[in-house]
Amino acid sequence: MNRRGWRNRGWVLFFLLPSAIPLVLFTAVPMVSSAWVSLHRWNLISPMEWVGLDNYTELLRDPATRDVFAHTLLYCAGYLPLVFAGGLGLALLLNQRMPGRAFFRAAYFLPVVTSWVVVALVWKWLLNPSSGLVNSLLGALGAPQPGWWTDPAWALPAVILASAWKDLGFVMVIMLAGLQAIPQDVLEAARTDGASAWQRFWRVTLPLLSPSTFFVVVISLINGFQVFDQVYVMTGGGPSGSSQVVVGQIYDLTFRYGRAGEASALSWILFAVILLITAVQVRGQRRWVHYA
Amino acid sequence: MRSFVRRAAVPVIAGLVLALAACSQGSATRADEPVAGKTTVRYMNFSANDGHEKDLDAIKAAFQTANPDITVQIETLPYADYFTKLQTAVAGGTAGDAFELNYENFVTYTANGSLAELKDVDAAPYKASLLEAFKADGKQYGLPASFSNVVLFYNKDLFKAAGVAPPTASWTWADEQAAATKLTNKGKGVWGDYQPISFFEFYKALAQAGGEFLAPDKKSSTFNSDAGRKAAEFLVAKAGKTMPTEAQGAGTPDFDSKLFKDGKLAMWHSGIWMFSGLADAKFDWDIAVEPGDTTKASAMFTNGAVVSAASKNQAAAQKWVTFLTSSDDMVKARLATSWELPPVADTDKVASYLTAGKPANRQAVFDSLDATVLPPVIERQQEMQDAVTKELSAAAAGRKDVATALADAQKAVDKLLS
Amino acid sequence: MPNFRTVLRWTAVVAGAAVMLVPFLWTVITSITPNGSLAGGPTLVVKDPTLAAYRELLDALPMWRIALNSFWIAAASTLFQLVTGSMAAYGFARLAFRGKGLVFGLYLATLMVPMQVLVVPLFIEMKTLNLQDTYLSLLAPSIASAFGVFLLRQAVESLPRDLDEAATIDGAGHLRIFTTIVLPLIRPALATVAVFAFMGSWNSFLWPLVVIRSPEFMTLPLGLSTLQGQFTTDWDVVMAGSVFSILPIAVVYLFAQRHIIAGIAHTGIK
Repeated sequence: MNRRGWRNRGWVLFFLLPSAIPLVLFTAVPMVSSAWVSLHRWNLISPMEWVGLDNYTELLRDPATRDVFAHTLLYCAGYLPLVFAGGLGLALLLNQRMPGRAFFRAAYFLPVVTSWVVVALVWKWLLNPSSGLVNSLLGALGAPQPGWWTDPAWALPAVILASAWKDLGFVMVIMLAGLQAIPQDVLEAARTDGASAWQRFWRVTLPLLSPSTFFVVVISLINGFQVFDQVYVMTGGGPSGSSQVVVGQIYDLTFRYGRAGEASALSWILFAVILLITAVQVRGQRRWVHYA
Repeated sequence: MRSFVRRAAVPVIAGLVLALAACSQGSATRADEPVAGKTTVRYMNFSANDGHEKDLDAIKAAFQTANPDITVQIETLPYADYFTKLQTAVAGGTAGDAFELNYENFVTYTANGSLAELKDVDAAPYKASLLEAFKADGKQYGLPASFSNVVLFYNKDLFKAAGVAPPTASWTWADEQAAATKLTNKGKGVWGDYQPISFFEFYKALAQAGGEFLAPDKKSSTFNSDAGRKAAEFLVAKAGKTMPTEAQGAGTPDFDSKLFKDGKLAMWHSGIWMFSGLADAKFDWDIAVEPGDTTKASAMFTNGAVVSAASKNQAAAQKWVTFLTSSDDMVKARLATSWELPPVADTDKVASYLTAGKPANRQAVFDSLDATVLPPVIERQQEMQDAVTKELSAAAAGRKDVATALADAQKAVDKLLS
Repeated sequence: MPNFRTVLRWTAVVAGAAVMLVPFLWTVITSITPNGSLAGGPTLVVKDPTLAAYRELLDALPMWRIALNSFWIAAASTLFQLVTGSMAAYGFARLAFRGKGLVFGLYLATLMVPMQVLVVPLFIEMKTLNLQDTYLSLLAPSIASAFGVFLLRQAVESLPRDLDEAATIDGAGHLRIFTTIVLPLIRPALATVAVFAFMGSWNSFLWPLVVIRSPEFMTLPLGLSTLQGQFTTDWDVVMAGSVFSILPIAVVYLFAQRHIIAGIAHTGIK
């Protein structure tokens, strides 16, 4: 290798090692050990017992695995469009000049920082099947009033609604940062060319936001597949397991049921699914993500 | 800005390196630092959390005065997080020399060889049934530290207003149901009864109906019986009729205690730990032994103190748990602050509890002990509890009939036992 | 006179903000209600408001110490993530090397296994390194985060390349370009990462619970969880604790968002 090649390699190491070392030490190493754990039967308190791939075959045969993946997938399918459209809309609104803009941005961000315990209680109250605000409104409109978190068919939609609401501010903040990076002169040029607000949005803003959009979609799906807190506090996976998700199952298996081996195996199955979905997105990004 | 960043870069990076180095230093009172000439015993517990930390400290101080060569280090964690922490600590080999376990989890830990056998235990101070509870294979693996039980709370004013005679120790389910129906007034938002539909209420109701949860060899479950169906029916039939349903708020934190405190609940199956919270209630209330069916059976919860098999200071740890569970200092601390009850055999020692204030009929707490039933325990305890609660809730919500729910629950539990 | 659409827009924003504020308001209201309870849903009028719950909170826990602890840990992990994240972002966006896609994929992969399953192996690792119960162990999982790297890489990728090409012609090296051109231009993204890094550390629960033993390392979420009893909970005190823990992040956000807005305007390009 020539000198320039070595120098370049030096720069790569210089810029990447500060993040790579801690990630390897404190994330990759535990990941590898969890893969090792997944080949054992282990309840955390007694010695591990080698079982080979039994945990995986067991899980793939278990109908509960299929259920928790189905619920998780359903969650993502409902959550992503809601939170993305809502967050982007908010960012566009709050990117314009208006009185009290800083206050409103903070207000919309507040649910992101509020603990799920509180948010879940509020939503359980809003979605109370017999006395909640939402059902009162639906009743007044003559619409059917679902049983929300007490009804197996509606428990997951209730969680989706609450999650999308809570995370609106998250998407908004990222989109706001993205909007700030759009050069004003490009929009100005489009305006002088006689493009309408609608055209400017579709032809200029949205394409220039695509790096942020890509980030939001990838991260929301990675996080969405690992949804846990809100399910844990809102429905506990019920009623009758109808809203149990993959990480909920992983948590129960590890810390409540003493089945850490199966929990690790399940998380590696989850890993494979997320990896696949992310890889598809990274492959597809060339077609729609425009970097400067 | 530019020059700022450039000038800042070097000190920032140097600072980060220094910070990293500083961070890896332990604290001054790092837990495993030995003190010269002294043995340190680490004790992990949950029951002192949220209000009794100082009481436990008092017991510890008394112990250290009596045993100047032993230092006790206490780690108190909330119940909800305790087992997460304990399991991880056991996995990493950093669990305390001694720790607290509730009776339900005791079997799991003995089955896995995590506990040290306690030798030459003086049985005299303890209530025999409680000491027995912490034995496995004829060996003593833990000492009972405290117990509490469940009684029937009732709102005297509501009973008077409805012209219903208050509960007595001789009440049966039929009496309770009849009174609950009369006391329920949905128009005024008053409910007759509240009893959670869960594993813990079910195993007790089952015993009251004369059923057995597990077969004698503990290799299969036997609750899908006539008695079991009767017990489940009794619980499930309450929902919506004399007791609020899940959709009406049941099961949310705080719901039942607020309902009772607001004077909107006539009867309430709850634990004696609620006494202090009800001291300032604006109405007259009292307690009675829980109604039975073919027999009486009161739920009892007990926590024990155990010594870790991995501990290097087992002798000192045993001294501490013995003191913690049987000393007079402990009895005094528990009674003075209406913490859970001390597990002592000598009833004279707990006499002051009877006159310690509301409710008037504290005798019922001890009367309940004549016929108590401990929860059935298996190695895969939590899974069993979850499975039973899940099926019963499905029945209560009308998604399953009681017979199917019980059959399904039994199938699930049998699978855990196989 | 403002036109009709402006008024409409403003009304929508106000109405939406009101909905967003409800849970927080409920938290505040419950915390100042005597014997506040969560059952029965929120009320807007408080009879005899009281600060008793806050006094009780300060009695029960050394709140200032705990908050300061949480603050330092969050601030340190934010600083670490900004430094490590922006450097990696530059590496991925501006340096050419073989296997870049694969390395970036490996970074992303670290986000794909849930913390719930990593906690136990990581704890055992810390024990082996004899680092359990130290500040470093608290910080360890948040010194670098692929989330930050990814967000910042997107920001660097969006910068026009002609800027650093011009600087290269002027003889600037990577370090100069990184510190004098790239960093100032990605301030909105840096501020965003700072907010999330701070929040992540401030709210993190499971890892501190497992790794910390000495009370002097206690963080806010751990402290607040001790307020919940096995059987009963004083919700007014818990809510007072929540207010205590939400306000600082709201302040951090208010502070950071000025930078998010400032972004481009200060840096010279339009």
